[in-house]
Amino acid sequence: MAEDRVERTVHIAAPAERVWDILTKPEHIGHWFGTGTPATVDLQPGGRFVFAGHGERYLARVVAVDPPRYLAYRWASAYPDVLADETNSTLVEFHVAADGAMTRLTVCESGFASLTIPAGRENFASHESHSRGWTEVMQGIVDYIDKGAS
Amino acid sequence: MTIPLLDHADELFAALAEPNRRLLLEHLGAHGAATATALAAELPVTRQAVAQHLAVLESVELVSSARAGRERRYTVHVEPLTAAASWMNQVAARWDARLAAIKALAESPE
Repeated sequence: MAEDRVERTVHIAAPAERVWDILTKPEHIGHWFGTGTPATVDLQPGGRFVFAGHGERYLARVVAVDPPRYLAYRWASAYPDVLADETNSTLVEFHVAADGAMTRLTVCESGFASLTIPAGRENFASHESHSRGWTEVMQGIVDYIDKGAS
Repeated sequence: MTIPLLDHADELFAALAEPNRRLLLEHLGAHGAATATALAAELPVTRQAVAQHLAVLESVELVSSARAGRERRYTVHVEPLTAAASWMNQVAARWDARLAAIKALAESPE
């Protein structure tokens, strides 16, 4: 059964431990998440991640930590300054694994279908989509669903 | 106050999860309105199965139907898909950018 999820993978020429540090160390998160502001990180289940990015601040909640292989947290991307819980957030999972001489990093964000967003932020889905053709739109959604199902 | 991100989003994703329903949507999108009988002739499914899939798609407003003689003709509606696809595309694009930044950081000298 396909799920409502986005999955992305990148191969990195660095050890898994190095990738893990980038994912979890405050000074690094500050760089890859957007603004360069050091993030607050309480790296344990139930702990908080505080991200600053897209002009907002997000209070994520750590779900699982298994260094250097797996990190999961929930974040309420539609609710800046609100702590993520089961009803307002999506689940973000990072998988870190050796792949030959490289390290494979996969991120999966899931749970969009049951998400609600506050009034006034509903144009998260942009208007540019209306100018795109049917085939492209269809292919886009099929790709995401197929990725989620695999 | 909150509003749903998409109307009936979980039902929409469930409707799209079935491969034959996606085939039906693609066919209707490419060739225009059609009856269940005509669709069954084009696709590897029975007319009865086509009718059931169309009912699911109509329940989430991905298709609508109008009576044409003894049958109903089905028309596809792109709006629920554009909203979902646009949003998922935006989420994916943001992750692509973040993963590229993580890669650059990890591969740079410590």
